[in-house]
Amino acid sequence: MTPLGKWKLTRILFTILYLMAGWLLFTGSVEPVSLALGFGFSSLIALWTYGLFFEEQEAERRSLIPRVHLFLVFVLVLLFKMYVASFRVLWYIIRGRVNPEIVHFRTRLKSDTARVMLANAITMTPGTVTIDLDQDHLIVHWLEAKTTHSGYAGRLIKGSFEKLLKWIWI
Amino acid sequence: MIAAIIAQIFISLGFIFALLGHLGVIVFPDVYTRLQASSTCATTSVISFFIAAMVDSGFSVITGKIVVISAFFIVSSPVSAHIVARYAWSRGIMPWRRRRQ
Repeated sequence: MTPLGKWKLTRILFTILYLMAGWLLFTGSVEPVSLALGFGFSSLIALWTYGLFFEEQEAERRSLIPRVHLFLVFVLVLLFKMYVASFRVLWYIIRGRVNPEIVHFRTRLKSDTARVMLANAITMTPGTVTIDLDQDHLIVHWLEAKTTHSGYAGRLIKGSFEKLLKWIWI
Repeated sequence: MIAAIIAQIFISLGFIFALLGHLGVIVFPDVYTRLQASSTCATTSVISFFIAAMVDSGFSVITGKIVVISAFFIVSSPVSAHIVARYAWSRGIMPWRRRRQ
């Protein structure tokens, strides 16, 4: 079996696995009929669409599949920061006085997925909204700006997100 | 018992965030700051409701479904906020700034 053929088989199997997980989650039953039906449809759909989800070259593997345990840490950190920032925004709303600024800064992340995740994480934390993401250049609207200096603002806003994302997507 | 109390705490948090987030839309001066108040506080409130539902239903299939729903929500909600902000930015709407002394 050629390496390309092996990788093709792996792609099909992984697609079936993900589809089966989705099927189990949404049906919520482990009866044989249901399982067989799910497996049949999963294989059918996987044979059809495996090319959409995984790249043809095996070299893409590392940039596609994130490190799951670190990703869970990232989600927990994101939720915690979201709550902290939400309480701060509540205080700004009650106080009724804000100091908004537009800040520009750059990111060191290389992978496109990681950059999109960073932009989304910045938007998720209340108090900052990503306006534009162009290559490695981010334009961010900051509700209570402490500074307009590019590097310092970048460090304050990105915080630990950038470091975590760099670990997750190489 | 403890799960019910935690769920109640999160539901009240979500209620507070939703209420004050929408109050922020009235209080704040321009489109960007209003977007901050509405979209991001609303996101936090909806996620609080999701967490409350997860805690309340315990370890079951329902929890898995809620995890999937919140994953989709976490991906889609910031993107919609970003699209509104980007449209305002590309239309050339200048952000409101506090006047310096």
